[in-house]
Amino acid sequence: METDFTLTFRSDPALLCAVRRLVRQYVEDRRVSAEKANEVVLAVDEACTNAIRHAYGNAHDRVLTLSVIADADWIEIRVEDDGMTAPAWAVARKDAATPDLETLSPGGLGVQLIYEAFDDVSFLAAEPQGNCVVMRLRRRAMVEG
Amino acid sequence: MGLELGISDEQGAQVIRVVGEVDLNSSPELRTAILEAAKRGGTLAVELREVPYMDSSGVATLVEGLKAMEPKGGAFVLLAPSSAVAKVLQLSRLDSVFDIRETL
Repeated sequence: METDFTLTFRSDPALLCAVRRLVRQYVEDRRVSAEKANEVVLAVDEACTNAIRHAYGNAHDRVLTLSVIADADWIEIRVEDDGMTAPAWAVARKDAATPDLETLSPGGLGVQLIYEAFDDVSFLAAEPQGNCVVMRLRRRAMVEG
Repeated sequence: MGLELGISDEQGAQVIRVVGEVDLNSSPELRTAILEAAKRGGTLAVELREVPYMDSSGVATLVEGLKAMEPKGGAFVLLAPSSAVAKVLQLSRLDSVFDIRETL
């Protein structure tokens, strides 16, 4: 697999709109279907949002790294931070059911949206701290036409 | 892209018309508007026709609005959600918990 691009950006929510546009353009250029492109853009946004909110505690002056690596079969998107490592329970996949409104959190919802969008998802803990969300999309299943 | 919020009274309901993308950056503004309107009780409708994008922070904001209206016995309505909003509600498995209508 080769790295198509790596983007580093400040953990400022005002930049997420530009990041979404970049990711959308990239996947649409690779003929990912419009519906799947929407899910991928949402999931990458959720990974960035979780890093800003939870790993960085809403600090706007930290750094996020978005990497896109691809080959003929897979598109892999990584979102990395060097903030507080997420506990395993916070990034676990939940069973399909309507979430409990009393305990619903945007972060928990975001994690489930990431699992919904991609074929293979890993939440890796970095040393000494930080997170790397690895989101992999199988290309053949997702292309139009 | 900034968020535009318009608040009006229509057919006895408060309607918050949302235009723009709802994400981590803009959802606090929507949250403030919804919670402020929820204080009045009655029917509160959030029109989402012109929302091309919504993330989980937006969904959580809508859930907060729903919960804020419950003790007042008021109705919380999602009005004409765009396809993007409908999709994120469906992916979140929350489409069944909201009163979703095309018109008031």
